Amino acid sequence: MFKLALRSLIDKKLRFALTTFVVVLGVMFVVGSFTLTDSLRSTFSGLARDIAQGTDLTVRVDQSFGGDFDRATVPEAVGEQVLGVEGVDRVQPELGALNVFIVDGEGNAIRPPGPPALGFSFNPGTFFITDGRQPAAPGEFATDTSTAAGNGLRIGETYEVNGPITAEPFELVGVFNFGAPDSHTGLGQTMAAFELDEAQRFFGMEDGYQAIGVLVSPGSEVSDVQDRLEAELGDDYRVITQEVDAAEQEEDFNQVVDIFNTILLVFAFIAVFVAAFIINNTFQIILGQRVREIGLWRAIGATPRQVSRSVITESAIVGVVATIIGIGLGLVLALVLRAILELIGFPLPPGPLTLQPRTVGLALLVGLGVTMISSIAPALRARKISPVAALAHDFRLDPTSLRRRVIAGGTVFAAGVVALAAGMTAGLDTTPTFVLLGIGAVLAFVGINTVSPAFARPAASALGRPVKSLFGMPGRLGRDNAARNPRRTASTAGALLIGLALMGLAAVVGESVKKTFVNIIENAVEADYFIRSAETGFGPPPGFPARLADEIEALDEIESVMRVQFAFGGLSVNGEPRDIVAADMAQADDHFDGQVSSGDMAAGDPLTALALHSDSAASLGVGVGDTLEATFPDNQTETLTVVAVYEDAAIYGNWLIDGALWDSHFNRNDLAFASARIAGLASAADEAELAALQDGSRAAIEGVLDRYPTVKVENQAEFRQAQESQLTALIRVIQVLIGLSFVIALIGIINTLSLSVFERIHEIGLLRSVGMTRKQLRRSIYWEALIVAVFGGLLGVTVGTVFGVATTLALPESFVQTVAVPWLDLAVFVLISAIAGLLAAILPAIRAGRMNILDAIAHE
Amino acid sequence: MTSSPTQALATAARAVAASKIYGSGDTEVRALDAIDVAFEEGRFTAIMGPSGSGKSTLMHCMAGLDTVTSGQVIIGDTDLTTLSEKDLTLLRRDNVGFVFQAYNLVPTLTAIENITLPMDLAGETGDTAWIDEVVGATGLSDRTKHRPNELSGGQQQRVAVARALAGRPQIIFADEPTGNVDSNTAAEILGFMRNAVTEMGQTIVMVTHDPVAASYADRVVFLVDGKIVDELADPTPQTIRDHMTRLGA
Repeated sequence: MFKLALRSLIDKKLRFALTTFVVVLGVMFVVGSFTLTDSLRSTFSGLARDIAQGTDLTVRVDQSFGGDFDRATVPEAVGEQVLGVEGVDRVQPELGALNVFIVDGEGNAIRPPGPPALGFSFNPGTFFITDGRQPAAPGEFATDTSTAAGNGLRIGETYEVNGPITAEPFELVGVFNFGAPDSHTGLGQTMAAFELDEAQRFFGMEDGYQAIGVLVSPGSEVSDVQDRLEAELGDDYRVITQEVDAAEQEEDFNQVVDIFNTILLVFAFIAVFVAAFIINNTFQIILGQRVREIGLWRAIGATPRQVSRSVITESAIVGVVATIIGIGLGLVLALVLRAILELIGFPLPPGPLTLQPRTVGLALLVGLGVTMISSIAPALRARKISPVAALAHDFRLDPTSLRRRVIAGGTVFAAGVVALAAGMTAGLDTTPTFVLLGIGAVLAFVGINTVSPAFARPAASALGRPVKSLFGMPGRLGRDNAARNPRRTASTAGALLIGLALMGLAAVVGESVKKTFVNIIENAVEADYFIRSAETGFGPPPGFPARLADEIEALDEIESVMRVQFAFGGLSVNGEPRDIVAADMAQADDHFDGQVSSGDMAAGDPLTALALHSDSAASLGVGVGDTLEATFPDNQTETLTVVAVYEDAAIYGNWLIDGALWDSHFNRNDLAFASARIAGLASAADEAELAALQDGSRAAIEGVLDRYPTVKVENQAEFRQAQESQLTALIRVIQVLIGLSFVIALIGIINTLSLSVFERIHEIGLLRSVGMTRKQLRRSIYWEALIVAVFGGLLGVTVGTVFGVATTLALPESFVQTVAVPWLDLAVFVLISAIAGLLAAILPAIRAGRMNILDAIAHE
Repeated sequence: MTSSPTQALATAARAVAASKIYGSGDTEVRALDAIDVAFEEGRFTAIMGPSGSGKSTLMHCMAGLDTVTSGQVIIGDTDLTTLSEKDLTLLRRDNVGFVFQAYNLVPTLTAIENITLPMDLAGETGDTAWIDEVVGATGLSDRTKHRPNELSGGQQQRVAVARALAGRPQIIFADEPTGNVDSNTAAEILGFMRNAVTEMGQTIVMVTHDPVAASYADRVVFLVDGKIVDELADPTPQTIRDHMTRLGA
C-alpha cells in the first residue's frame, strides 16, 4: 500500500506540489518565528553579558517592581561606604538616562526609530575607545561608533545634545565600541557618554548613581566580598554578581522577545489553520477523483483498511516532505525577517541562526500533524468505496447530508462562541485567555465552514445571477460551476473566510477604537496646544525635559500648562504593579475633561490624592474618600485617598496621581506630554484677534522648542489627526500581516480550481468542440473563481463584522465606547478577495484553454 | 457502386490528399494516408473500418478538431488548413454539428439550453421556429427544462442530435452515437438522424463499427490502414457484413 500511495503521488505531480506548498508555508512560518526569536535570545544574552562585564559586583537599590530607569538612586555616600569594605579594590559608579538625543550638524536630532536614545556616564569597563579619548571634563562627550559613522559625526566638532533636563552644546572627543574592544554591540540605540560628574549634572541626578560597579582586589573571593557588602549595606541594597546581573538583563530583553515571538506565532497559527482547510479540501477532492481507482483496488482484493491506510500514508508523505522543505524555507524566512528588522531600525549583530531540536519537533508536529489530521475524514470516507465503483461510470461518494452538517456545524460554532465569550469575560491571565480565544476562534471557524455549504449554492446562484444575464454563456457556466458543488465552493471560500474575518474583525475593532478616541478628543479636550515627542517609531514615545513646560508656562501668551508623566508599573497596590499617569490635578479639568462621575480631582492634598477610572475603582471596590496603600518603585509606601472617579481613560489612564507625588518618588522627571491654554482667548473681540492670539502663542511655543528638534507642538486639529493616523497605521500593519493568509488562500483557490477543471475535462472538450473559444472558456473559469471568491469574501467580512462588534462590546469601556463599522474598508476587503480569486484563476484558466480537445473528449 | 442522383449534389465537405502522420522514422504511424474523400450535401454517410483504421482520425480532421499533416480539408468553401485556432473554433460553432458517443451534454444546463448552446456561445438567438421544429422532432417537447441526468441515455443522445441540428450546420459529424446504448435506443437515435437527413436535408457523417447502424446511411465508406479501400451505396446490414468480411480477409 505504501508503494501505491507513493505512486499515486508521483502520478499527480501538480496536486502533490500544491498540497505540499500549502503545508510548507505553515511550517515555514512556525520555523521562521522560532528560529528568529531563538537567535534574538542568544544575541541578547550575549549583549547582556557584554553589559554586565567589567565589574565583579554591582550594588543597586533593591526594587521589587518598576522599570530600570524608575529605580531610586544610590546616594554618593554609599560609594564611600563600599570603598571601605575589605576586598573592594575600586568602585565604578554607573549612570544612565533615557531621552538623550544628539543633534547632528544639520540641526536634526538623531532618532533611532525603535530603540531608545540613551545617555551614560563613561564606563571604561564596557566602553572601548576606538578613536579620540574618553570624555574627561565638562562640555565633552563620546558616542558609539555606529551612531558616529551613521550620522557623519566628527571628533573635535561641537554638537547640541538634548538631555532629560536641558539642551547644551558638547564637544565630541571620542568614539567607542560598546561591549567589546573590536566590535560594537548595538541594537540600533544611540549612546552619548559623559564624564561622571558631568553626567550627574546633565541628567539631573546630582545626589547619586543608578548603580555602583565594584572591582574586587586581587586575592579576594568575589563571594566573600559580596557577603561583606550585603552585611554592610543592609536590606535596602542588592549586591549582585556579574552572572546574576547578566541574567537579569537577559530576562528584561527576553520579555520583549517573548512578545515578538507571540505575535509571530499568532500569524503562524493563522497560516497553519488556513493551510489545514486547504489540505482537507484537496484530499477530499482528490478522493472524489480516485473513486474508480480505489474501487479497482477493492475489486482486486484490497481491504477497506488498506484503502484508508493508503490515503493516510499519502498524506504522511506529503507532510514529511513539506516539513523538510518548510524547515529550510523557515530558516530563509528568519533571515528575511532579520533583514526587515534591520531595515526598520533594529540592526542585529550577525550571528548564526539557531535551529533548536524543539523547533524541528514543532515543525514536524505542525507539518505532519496538520496533514494527517486533515486526511482522517477522507480516509474514513475512502473505506466506504465499494468495488462496484470501479465499474459504475457515475459512482459518487455519498456526501454528508446538509441537515447533519448544519446540526454538527451549528453545535461546533456554538461551542466556539461560548469559548470566545468566556475568554473575553472571565478575566483570566493572559495565557489562558489567549488559549480560550484561540480555541473559540478555531471552533467558530470550523463550525461556520461546516455549515456554509448549506448556503453556498443559493449564495453562489444569487451572486451569479447578474453575471449570468449580463455576460452570456461563459458567465452562465461560471456561475453554474460555482454553484455545482456547494461543499467545494464552501471550503474554498472557507480559506478566504478566515483571513477576511480576521481582517474584518481588526477593522471593526480598530475603527471603533478610533471613533471612541476621536469622540473623546472632541468632547474632552479643553487645551489649545499639545507638546510631545516628535518621535514616530515603535514602542512608547520618549519623554522630554520638564523645564520646557516651565518655559512655556512662563510665556505671556500662555495661560496655563499641564504636565503629564507616565510610568509602566509605576505604582503597586495589593502587590500588583499598575501603570500610572501623573498630572497637575488642580487644573486637570481645564485641560482635559476626564468625565468625573464622583468627587473632585482638584480636592485634597496633592501628595496623597489619587483619582481612579471607574473600571479600576469597581474592580477594587473603592469609592471617593476610601484609602489605598500604594508602594512606589523607590520602595516607599504611601496611604493615598481616592478624591475622584472618572469615566474617560483616554488621557489619564486608570490611575492618576499629582505631579507633586510623582516628584517625591521618581528621580526621572521627563514629561510624556504637556498641554497648554492660550491666554486671553475668552476676551478676544473678533476672529482676527483670535487668529492673532493663536499665531502669537504658537510662535512663542515654537521659540521655546527651537533647540529641541525632538519635541513638537500641535493644535487640537493636528493632535487629533496625528492620533488618528497613528491608529490607522497600526490597524493596517495588523491587517497586512493577517493578509499573508491570503497568499495561502490563493493557493487553495488555485488548487481547487485546477482540480475542478480537471474533473470537467470531458465537458470542457465538449464545449470547445461545439464552438466555445479559448477566450470564452477562460472567461467562464474567471467567473467561477470570482463568484467563489466573492462568496468567501462576503462570508468572511460578515463573520468579521459580527465578531468585531461583539469584541467591541466586550472590551472595557475605558478602551472603546463606540461601535463603528468601516464599511468602505470592508468593501475593499471583498474587492481584494475578488482580485485574489481572479489571480488564482489565471493558471487553471490558461491550462484549461491549452487543453487538447481530442484528449479532453477521450478523457474519462 | 454509384447512384446517379447524388452525383449532381454539391459537396458539403471533402478531403484532398489528406495525411495524418504521428511520430517519425521507425515509429512513424500514418493514421491517414493521402485520403481523397467527399461528402455530398443532404446525404447520410457512414465511415467504417476496423479499430486503428483511422476512421475517428478522419472524422476529427474533417471536423476541425484535429489538423492534418499534409493535404487539405475543406468544409463548404473554407480550407480548414488555413485557419487559425480561433477561426477553427468559430467554424465548428457556426458550420459544424457534433454528436459524441457519450457525455454529449453539459450537466449544468437544461435540455433546451444544451440544444441552443452553440448559438448562446455565439451570442445569437437562432431561428426559434426551426429550433421548435427540431425539438418537436426529438419528441422531447415536454422535457426541455430537464437536466441531462433526468433524461434516459437515448433521450440524451436525441438532445445531442437536436443540438447539432439546431444551428443548421453545413455538416454534422457523429462519433459512434449509438456505441453506448441498447439496440432499441440505438434504433430510436438512428431513426432520428435518418429523418434529419431525409426530411430536413441535413448532411451527416457518422463513424461506426456497427453494420446495423451503418445501414441507416445512404453510403458507407470503408477505411483500412488510413486509406479508403471501398465504398457501398444504399447499404443493408448484410451487404455491409459481406464487404467487411472481404476486407478483413
